[in-house]
Amino acid sequence: MRTTILLTALFIGACGVEPQPPLVATEVVVTRPMPGMAMSAAYLSLTNNTDQPIHISRVTSAQFESVQLHESSIEDGVARMRAIPVLQIPAGETATLERGGKHLMLMRPRGTFESVSLQFFDDDDLILNVDANVQAIAN
Amino acid sequence: MGPRNFIVAIVLATALSAGIFVATRLQAPATLNIGFVLPAPTPLPEFALLDQSGVAITRDAFRGHWNLVFFGFTHCPDICPATLQILAAARRELQAAGQDPLPRIALVSVDPERDSPELIGQYIDNFGDNNLGITGNLEELTKLASGLGIYFEKQAGEGGAYSVDHTAAVLLVNPDAEFHALFSGPHRVENYVHDLPLIMAGS
Ligand SMILES: [Cu+2]
Repeated sequence: MRTTILLTALFIGACGVEPQPPLVATEVVVTRPMPGMAMSAAYLSLTNNTDQPIHISRVTSAQFESVQLHESSIEDGVARMRAIPVLQIPAGETATLERGGKHLMLMRPRGTFESVSLQFFDDDDLILNVDANVQAIAN
Repeated sequence: MGPRNFIVAIVLATALSAGIFVATRLQAPATLNIGFVLPAPTPLPEFALLDQSGVAITRDAFRGHWNLVFFGFTHCPDICPATLQILAAARRELQAAGQDPLPRIALVSVDPERDSPELIGQYIDNFGDNNLGITGNLEELTKLASGLGIYFEKQAGEGGAYSVDHTAAVLLVNPDAEFHALFSGPHRVENYVHDLPLIMAGS
């Protein structure tokens, strides 16, 4: 009996206490700016592990002067792109940023680099930092 | 039936069904996945623009090649590179399959304010060799676009930033500089690989 309790305590100590991060990024793709081009894009899935909605109001990056949340769409045969002021992620849900849809528009690269860091802000609080290697867009 | 006769029978049956298969394939009109061939090809509108070397061009620049023409802009990080990437991949696949002629990719800028010949040249070089980049004066670009039913319009964003809405379709211009076919999507590599040889062969 004592052994069982001890083992259970150890088990909880090893795995049970670790808190889940509030926001988790998966399927991160950051495209490398094409030669001479002042912009590029990032795609990822953001999962809200909390019981409160998360409002991504700002994203920053050391490698780009400006990062904006955008949404592309093709409606009635016309391609459009618009800024999204705030990306809302309801409690427990995942927001997907992907080609031809929502994306991070990365503007005015600061020099050349192989990896990019992105900081996501929930209202004014830093909630997530993502580091990713850049990938060539074509060929 | 001896074993040898049995094999002969199988060979004959296979040949017969293959023959029927080929015959039905030849009889059935080839259906296109996404391409729409114009009942009568129409000459491109007249225009005076620049290619990626800054050389003055007219619609004659399209002559002598099949051209996959896309209207877009270099400050478009999402839909434009995705479409051009698909066209480039389709062309690579067709080339690997021995397709001749191969279409050339032509990007016509809908953002002449930012797209210098040099910039559009750098941009299209990311999507294979021998591509054609076209930019120049807004009025002349509008002549070309509207003559082909292509819409584009500048959309102001924050802090002087802007985007350009534009028709997402890809046009096929034939070696006589005529608007020949339209691909309105979905833009997928397999659709272009399937449709382009059929259209260029005139079926
Ligand atoms: Cu964008």
